Amino acid sequence: MPIVHNEIDNYLAADLHNQLSDEERQELHAHLVECADCRRLHQETKIMNKALEETLATEKPDTAFEQRMLAGFHNRIPQRSGSIAKLIVDLMRLRVTQITAVAAMLLALVQVGRIITGEGTTMPRNREYAAEEQFAAQPAQLPLPSSNDVGALSKSGDRRDNETDQLAPGKTFARSQVTAAPAAPQTDAKDKKQERAEVERTRVTGSNVSTAEKVEPNPVEAQASALANRKLIRNAQVELEIVSFDAAVQKITAFANEERGYVATTNSEKQANGKLRGTVVVKVVPENLDRFVQKIRDLGELKNQTLGTEDITKAYFDTDSRLKNARVMEQRLIDMLKKKSDDINDLLQVERELGRVREQIEQMQGELKYWDSQVQFATVTIQLTEKDMEVPAAFLLKERAQLALYAPEVEKVYDEIKALASPKVQITNAQLDRDNTGRVSARVSMLIAPEESDAQIARVKTMGRIENFQVQTERVAQGGAGMSENAKTKRDKVELNITISREEQEQAFQQTSLRIRTSAIDEKTKELRSLTEKQNGRVRSSSFSRDPDGREFANVSLRVPMKNYSALMQSIDVLGKVENVSVQRQDRTGVQVDEANAPADLSIQVYTQGNIVSQETGLFATLRRTLGQSAGAIMWSLRMIGVAIAFLAPWAIALAAIIWVTRRIMRARTGRGD
Amino acid sequence: MDANEREMYQAAIHGDREAFGMIIRRHSRALFAIAYGILQSREEAEDAVQDALVKAWKSRWRVRDPEKFPAWLCMIARHRARDVFRRRRTVPISYEITEPVESEATDTTALNRQLHFALAALPELHRSALTLRYFEEVDYQSIEKLLGLSNGALRGILGRALASMRKELRPALASLE
Repeated sequence: MPIVHNEIDNYLAADLHNQLSDEERQELHAHLVECADCRRLHQETKIMNKALEETLATEKPDTAFEQRMLAGFHNRIPQRSGSIAKLIVDLMRLRVTQITAVAAMLLALVQVGRIITGEGTTMPRNREYAAEEQFAAQPAQLPLPSSNDVGALSKSGDRRDNETDQLAPGKTFARSQVTAAPAAPQTDAKDKKQERAEVERTRVTGSNVSTAEKVEPNPVEAQASALANRKLIRNAQVELEIVSFDAAVQKITAFANEERGYVATTNSEKQANGKLRGTVVVKVVPENLDRFVQKIRDLGELKNQTLGTEDITKAYFDTDSRLKNARVMEQRLIDMLKKKSDDINDLLQVERELGRVREQIEQMQGELKYWDSQVQFATVTIQLTEKDMEVPAAFLLKERAQLALYAPEVEKVYDEIKALASPKVQITNAQLDRDNTGRVSARVSMLIAPEESDAQIARVKTMGRIENFQVQTERVAQGGAGMSENAKTKRDKVELNITISREEQEQAFQQTSLRIRTSAIDEKTKELRSLTEKQNGRVRSSSFSRDPDGREFANVSLRVPMKNYSALMQSIDVLGKVENVSVQRQDRTGVQVDEANAPADLSIQVYTQGNIVSQETGLFATLRRTLGQSAGAIMWSLRMIGVAIAFLAPWAIALAAIIWVTRRIMRARTGRGD
Repeated sequence: MDANEREMYQAAIHGDREAFGMIIRRHSRALFAIAYGILQSREEAEDAVQDALVKAWKSRWRVRDPEKFPAWLCMIARHRARDVFRRRRTVPISYEITEPVESEATDTTALNRQLHFALAALPELHRSALTLRYFEEVDYQSIEKLLGLSNGALRGILGRALASMRKELRPALASLE
């Protein structure tokens, strides 16, 4: 068998170690019979195996080896007792704990989600409540007959005897339910019902009577009796918009008569725009209140309606019973008087007591009577408003004008304006300001009668140059806020505010600067002055200077009206060579400017060329220039090198750092690898 | 591996000292065999196993699959033994120098020594496999698992190991025959 022969070593080893399958063993043995070489090897291996077993047997660990290992382990890793961390880890290993933790986390997530989405906890509670109520409605029907009995009893019996029950009808229902609930035939649902009855009771006692009514599902007579025994004050408020106040009041009176009622009070009020507004109070029988309100709603446009009921049952019967007690007391006192006691003091005391009791009785009777009247008739308060209440009666047109003037002499204009004062022109405020730099400005406010206003304003406008004029118009509605087609419009007095400033302070509309080269400065400057005056302008300032090189300068600044500007510019050309002309214009937005008269400023420099020759020629100068240039070039290249270093240095540092770190890591890794 | 065993390994991974004690009882001899195969010295092997156990305890959390816990233990022991072996190599005191002095006592001791030499001449893995087999008489499959060998590889390894030893020891064995 070539396979066995080729792998004889493996077969022999496995055979010695009993790891051959039966088939393999058979194959091996068959081969060993055939092959002498393998037989010899088999023999040798067996001997060696034996020797090996013997030798290695002495090297085997002794019996206490495991104990030693364990003891060594325990010595080197001492037990840490009472570690909370361990406890937690142990706990977390338990499946139950894991599930609980996951559940808790899910719950927390859901809660967080709810908080974020704003879905409050109220919704589920509402649902629960609704379910409960539905549930409660069912069993409530069962005990009802008995509750009815109670109701009937209380109705048929003496009203006074059953007072306590009457005083709190809600409680009566609740109690009857509680007592009746166990008597229900369905025993399986008994416990539940009892519970519900409990719930019902708490709810009924906690809330007002009407809920108890709602819960009470049944018989009409029970309800009717309950209603009949109640003392309810009903009232209604209605707000209506009608076309005509008087017609509406007539109709309301008619309706009141129809519904067995009467008009208690009426009041009305006329507005500035001729519209009426008023209130009508009607008393009707409570049973007809709803019908009455329905009727009056058709009178006009309903703005607002409130129907209210006040339950005074408890207070009423409280007073009633107190009244009865007082009457009994009175009777007893009268009896005492009749006994004719001899003691005057006693008699006096009884009399006094009797007086007090009678006063009480009267008071209580009055109270009951008042309540009776209130209960007998419902009060309907009707607010009536005629349509278009808000329409204004008239409009007032208010005009407000702002005028800013420039004048050469502020004081003069100020006086002129003040002189305008007359019955139609009323000066409300006049003020002249002069500061320490000599600047003068004035402000005048006046009220002008509407028919005079245009003429007066025009007159003021001629007194100076207008910088700015603004008119504001406001329409004020009178006696209302709405729109109206036929209201009259009236013009109010015109308010005019005038500001006067000196012309000097005015900013130039256009500024020009230029230079004139000439040989004779004095002469030319004088000529410039005369030219300016010819063109209606003014020289504002002038200066003269001479520099060390022998050059002379004269700076002249002047102002001309815009209309003469171009003429002046042309005439200046005659004076000498005009250089460096620059013109600047300020656009003042939103302001109307009288361009022809607006001032234009010119600042002119008249100068002569110096007569000193420049030194920038010759050998030394050239040498100096060349040296200077080369020094400059060197400085420039130095600067460039600096820039290059500044650019490259961070990169070089970063690269070096990376290489250093990498090498450290590599070294550490190879160190660990060893 | 049955469920109990799995649970034991799992518990040990989670830090159960009792479970780890069980593992020590069950596997320390195998670990010793492996370490001995590498070191061929009982004292050193014992120390190596001890160290390996401590190290295994400290880094037990690294084991994800409890099934592989024994193999992992063996690997730690092998690494530890190899570390010890390497360190020893740098120490100049050698086996051979002391050997001739106390030699030629009896035939069996001579054979013993020769056997040790022959063993030492084998590759490390072969030695470990041999000692595991001869110390603990573990079946091939388990040894393969412990040493991380593929299925059926051990037969070849042991066959080759025995064959090379046989060649080495042929003269001595001939005298025994």
